[in-house]
Amino acid sequence: MRRPSTVAASCFETHQRETERDPLTFDERLAAIRASMIEHKLEVLVAIHDGAHFIETPNSVFVLSGFKSLGPAAVVLSCDGEASLIVTPAWDVERAAECRPGLRVIAADDVVDVLESACSSHGSHGGKLGIAGLAATRWDIAGRLAQTLPQASAADDIVFDAAAAKTVEEIAHAREATRIAELGYARLVEIARPGMSEDELALELKWYTKTLGAEDNFLLLCAGPRNPAVAPSNGRVMQRGDTLVAEITPSYRGQLAQICRTATLGPTSAELKHKYELLVRAMNAGIQAAHPGAPMAFVCRAINTVLEAEGYGEYCHPPHIRRRGHGLGFGSIRPGDVSLDNDTVLTEGMVFMIHPNQHLPETGYLLCGEPVLLTGRGAEPLTKHQSALFEIGL
Amino acid sequence: MLAMNPTLLVGPSDWDPGRMPQEEFAARADALWRDNPSATGAIVYGDRVNHAELAYLTNFTPKLEAALALIPRDGLPQLLVGGGVNMLPAARPLTFVADLRPLRNVGKTVAEWARAQGGGTPVLIGSTLMPYVFHQEIAAALGSKMGDKTAELRRLMGRKSARELAELRQTCATLDAAVAAMRAAQRSGAGVTAAVLAGEQAANRRGAQEVRSLFSLDRGRTLRPFETLVERAVDPLQVYVAVRQLGYWAEGFAVLTASPHPCAERADAVLRSGITRMQAGERCSEPARSITQAGHPLHPVTARVVGNAIGLALQEHPLIAGGCEDRIEAGGVYSLRAGLSDERGHGIISAMVAVHEHGNEVLWSSPEAA
Repeated sequence: MRRPSTVAASCFETHQRETERDPLTFDERLAAIRASMIEHKLEVLVAIHDGAHFIETPNSVFVLSGFKSLGPAAVVLSCDGEASLIVTPAWDVERAAECRPGLRVIAADDVVDVLESACSSHGSHGGKLGIAGLAATRWDIAGRLAQTLPQASAADDIVFDAAAAKTVEEIAHAREATRIAELGYARLVEIARPGMSEDELALELKWYTKTLGAEDNFLLLCAGPRNPAVAPSNGRVMQRGDTLVAEITPSYRGQLAQICRTATLGPTSAELKHKYELLVRAMNAGIQAAHPGAPMAFVCRAINTVLEAEGYGEYCHPPHIRRRGHGLGFGSIRPGDVSLDNDTVLTEGMVFMIHPNQHLPETGYLLCGEPVLLTGRGAEPLTKHQSALFEIGL
Repeated sequence: MLAMNPTLLVGPSDWDPGRMPQEEFAARADALWRDNPSATGAIVYGDRVNHAELAYLTNFTPKLEAALALIPRDGLPQLLVGGGVNMLPAARPLTFVADLRPLRNVGKTVAEWARAQGGGTPVLIGSTLMPYVFHQEIAAALGSKMGDKTAELRRLMGRKSARELAELRQTCATLDAAVAAMRAAQRSGAGVTAAVLAGEQAANRRGAQEVRSLFSLDRGRTLRPFETLVERAVDPLQVYVAVRQLGYWAEGFAVLTASPHPCAERADAVLRSGITRMQAGERCSEPARSITQAGHPLHPVTARVVGNAIGLALQEHPLIAGGCEDRIEAGGVYSLRAGLSDERGHGIISAMVAVHEHGNEVLWSSPEAA
């Protein structure tokens, strides 16, 4: 059973593999997690999530069960194979049971109350216990849990490293989420007009992607003559001449995919076209650089090199830019950020964003990015149409 | 009611001084200081899931990352916004607070601010909602001075002002429009997703900043959030809709059907008896008893808790539940629900009720099933 590694690579293969491995199934991944538990001498692993789903926060419960909860939820996994999913609110138990047949599902009013007894029934009688997801869980749950399970050690790496490569199911969902994102963008350029507020446009777009099957959407969208960043929409009324930037990030059955796009309301200047082409070149350099065996930092460096050659070296670092892409949850967000300090070695089956999204002094902030699947042949963009600056005719 | 939390908030949340002027926020802060006479200031946490207290004191809705308000007893407040300095322009229209800064080095920032307030004790609001690591940083910064007063602030939030009641009325009108649109779509033969999304779109177009829905695929026996498209039509269609507009939530259940629905009719009678018990000074357990002991088999969704206060949070305290000794307050707005379930059928209906000094007022109630 292969397992993704986050060990730094001092050197890596630069040739591309000719063959591809089949992606893991959910059960194979679970088996890999159990194997890792044994390796780390963990008898029981507790995954906790408080129900606050966020693109930047991995969800260990989702990784171990495939269940996206309404409220706080937990999974108790024994190294010998038993697994229980604890669900709040209690009335949501039947939906939870549907998501992973065979999983023991427990309805709870209070996840921490039930966890203690569940840990005992899973055999944690003084054996080593690990916990994943604690750091991001809200205090009224996490604080009690830390007191209830004082012996628990952090087990986030065991869960999230194993889920760094997506399963067959997750890859299919990422493809569908990407399809929805592209349709969403087509809708955006169709309806965006001066006089409409950013909020109106964002709401309409979120609603539209839901009609296509997206159960959520991390949708950053804003417009202006020179955007300082991409930010959540507000009530600003869009004007002719604005540059409209959007990170459209639908989730399909709990798997996010994102496209980063830029459009102008009205004619596009020659300079903006020129600068956008530079970003597309930088993105393609990043896509070319991403292949199994390469550390993630290599992808970031490839993007920066294109921009540095054009004199934008100082804009390749904070505060102008923090990263050139990122992993995509809601389960694991590995392989993490496309950044110079990320030495995670890329492996087949990883799905992540490559976006050189960049503030340039002449244009303001521009968005340009694609979700990619890492295969034996390199990074495969999941989109049908690559980022290109779009001029919305008025 | 709990529905799925979105990963990012996208709807209109700008501060509108015409609707909620700054003196309203000043009065809220004054009340906070009256309740905490020794407090040198308030440290208020909020994130995109839990931010009612932050919105109450600053109008700010954190759409993306967490925020922390530092409100001195004397002087001007600061709002620390997650996401870096480039996020501040987008956050500015959402609040009257002029001093916006990036949320960085939480522990150090909070400790320095607390010292600058004279070294006394600031109150902490929303500390239990902080992520574990964030909480540890704040705790290390404040040490023994960490006194959480969220429960006390929530009691203040429970008594709605005239302006708040006006906003809640408007949100209830939007809830009504959403349910009406779902009902119309369902009756025209629309599939489940299409019917639910018709309601969500109707709410959006009336200015709702957020809409959450649950629905049933098994004639009301269980509820579920939107997970994927459901193209088939169902009758009866049990729905739950929560609408947030101008910061304030309204929620409601409805049974949508073209045929008579005896279970929903029985639930309606039970709900009405519960509403009569929603009187100022009454224990919260009384309307709960009226609903749960009416002699009908209860729906699992509403068997334990039949309601709650509602406002800037979808579920405020107190809960309307058996054993709850809190009192129903004049000025409070509550969501009250009755759900019945047996082999003959399932149905949950509800009402939004404003409680006055004398009597109460139903701001919204479920439409008749058929």
